[in-house]
Amino acid sequence: MKVVTGVVGNDVHVVANRLIDISLQERGFEVFNLGVNTYLEEFIDAVIETDADVLLVSSLNGEAEGWCRDLGILKSKYDFSDVVFMIGGNLGVGEMNAEELGPKYRNYGFDLVFHQVDLNEGLDQLENYLKERK
Amino acid sequence: MKKPNKLLIDIGSTYFKICENGHISHYFRNFDKNIFDDLTGKCSETLKKYAKEDIHICSSANGGLSTLIIGLTNSFSLKYAINIAFNSGINIIDTVHYLEIEKFTPPKEMIDVVIVVGGIDGGKGVFDERLPNYLKEVNYQNIVYVGNNTNRSFLQEQVPGIKILDNIISSRLQMHEEELKTYLTDLYQADIMGKEDIKHFYDITSNQIYSTPYIVNRSLPHLSDKMNVADPFILIDIGGATTDIHYSRDLVKDNIITDSEYDRLVFKKLGVYKSRESLVFSAKNNEFVYELLNFLNVTENILEERSDKATKVLMQLSIFLVLYKMSKHHKAYIELELEKLNSIVLTGGITKVLSFDEINEIILFFYKKILHFHHAPAILLDSNYEIWSYGMVTPKEQP
Ligand code: B12
Repeated sequence: MKVVTGVVGNDVHVVANRLIDISLQERGFEVFNLGVNTYLEEFIDAVIETDADVLLVSSLNGEAEGWCRDLGILKSKYDFSDVVFMIGGNLGVGEMNAEELGPKYRNYGFDLVFHQVDLNEGLDQLENYLKERK
Repeated sequence: MKKPNKLLIDIGSTYFKICENGHISHYFRNFDKNIFDDLTGKCSETLKKYAKEDIHICSSANGGLSTLIIGLTNSFSLKYAINIAFNSGINIIDTVHYLEIEKFTPPKEMIDVVIVVGGIDGGKGVFDERLPNYLKEVNYQNIVYVGNNTNRSFLQEQVPGIKILDNIISSRLQMHEEELKTYLTDLYQADIMGKEDIKHFYDITSNQIYSTPYIVNRSLPHLSDKMNVADPFILIDIGGATTDIHYSRDLVKDNIITDSEYDRLVFKKLGVYKSRESLVFSAKNNEFVYELLNFLNVTENILEERSDKATKVLMQLSIFLVLYKMSKHHKAYIELELEKLNSIVLTGGITKVLSFDEINEIILFFYKKILHFHHAPAILLDSNYEIWSYGMVTPKEQP
């Protein structure tokens, strides 16, 4: 299975990105890592070029919302029905209500949303999701 | 007497340049003669001194190849193919975003080469009958496929004469340029051989004739040995019809991983002679231009005038627009981090028309007004137009 990953927007936090790359490979995924500072269009284009099964976006500096709002528009231009869209990291800033983050990001077009969830926990859930979908 | 080793010749549309032992001479073209007779007439004594294998020629006189690139996505296929095409010396590039191919009107003019690209190897394939259908409406001479391996047989069946080369997108999603680059430079050579007035150049040289911008690009790694230039730098070559920019890769943040340290980019419509109209149009639509004209102490009327003064102002505008179009203020194929720039090198006709001070004032205006900097990068003029000659050794001879 192919996964495209990277850190969205103007976000330089690289440590999690490296861990995600390694963890995915250990779980047998083929990883296309676009690294930090990646725009949403680049993620989408990479999914199209590689024919990926999963897009795993991470965001650490709290700016994800601004960068991901247009996901729906980008998704409408191509058939992504077989692709799992997933996001995790620090998805909000300040006094936001963490409960609201899940529905908000799902509304943008993400299937799986993990705000401040441990990476392995998130990847376990991804694998379950992929299994159930079959 | 010791035989001199190499004779380098650059054939431009307005003059020839000849480099012998590092010494450059310029000859204005006589437009009543064909280029070959003109050259051999003017330089017969010099040419006699050299064997065919010691003469190296580059040329921009045949105008370059017109190219149409059909690619799957903007961030990868199209970006990689445009990068390779520009670095191969190609000037005219039109692009089609394959996912929206229905929205693109096929070009009316004859295209020298169509490049089709998309997808990494091993995927489910991305091209379908929409591609051959579109291509039926395009007049082209050559077509090359540099995309995923899954679609190869489909395209071979559907598109007569399609040349298949290695995918330019590696299985790691990185750019793989060599084969396409060689194909395009060879095509350039074939184009020359097909043109009556220039094909005879092969009577005097046994070496491949390259396009001048390709050669200029190849000279850039050696530039700091010859002039006081500091990386990162850009080289601006403003000609009569097109404007070429060569830039250090350190100035771009993007996903291209390549061995080349310098890339090239072309603005088709910012020349001061053949594309004067579109230069003026572009200028009038730029929000800073009136301030700039004011700063130069001229009025808008100058843009319609035909005088030496007007030509100077147009050249100054052209420098400004080129910088503007590459800056973060303008969304284009590439955005350069001009804040990091250490040197700006100018070459081509512009160095003969504008003085150092006239160039300096415009670049300073750009850095102060647009980038809010107090100082501008160091400016270097290649007034004797030598830079091309540093790139004229064949790849085999390069270290
Ligand atoms: C180191 C660091 C930096 C370094 C980054 C160096 C580098 N190149 O990586 C520097 C100093 C540059 C930096 C800058 C900034 N930072 Co900082 N930084 C940190 C810090 C201290 C550690 C981050 C880290 O590496 N952690 C280790 C990794 C392994 O953990 P992680 O990043 O949290 O990732 C884990 C999970 O989030 C999860 N995960 C991540 N992605 C995904 C995706 C999925 C799908 C799943 C399931 C899980 C998952 O998995 C990882 C492993 O468990 C954190 C605070 C902290 N203690 O977390 C702040 C922190 C991330 N930074 C923060 C901020 C605000 C900034 C700045 C905006 C500060 C500023 N005002 O300038 C800038 C932003 C710069 C930019 N353009 O991005 C905030 C983010 C606020 C928020 N939204 O919650 C934090 C949380 C600090 C804070 N408490 O305020 N930062």
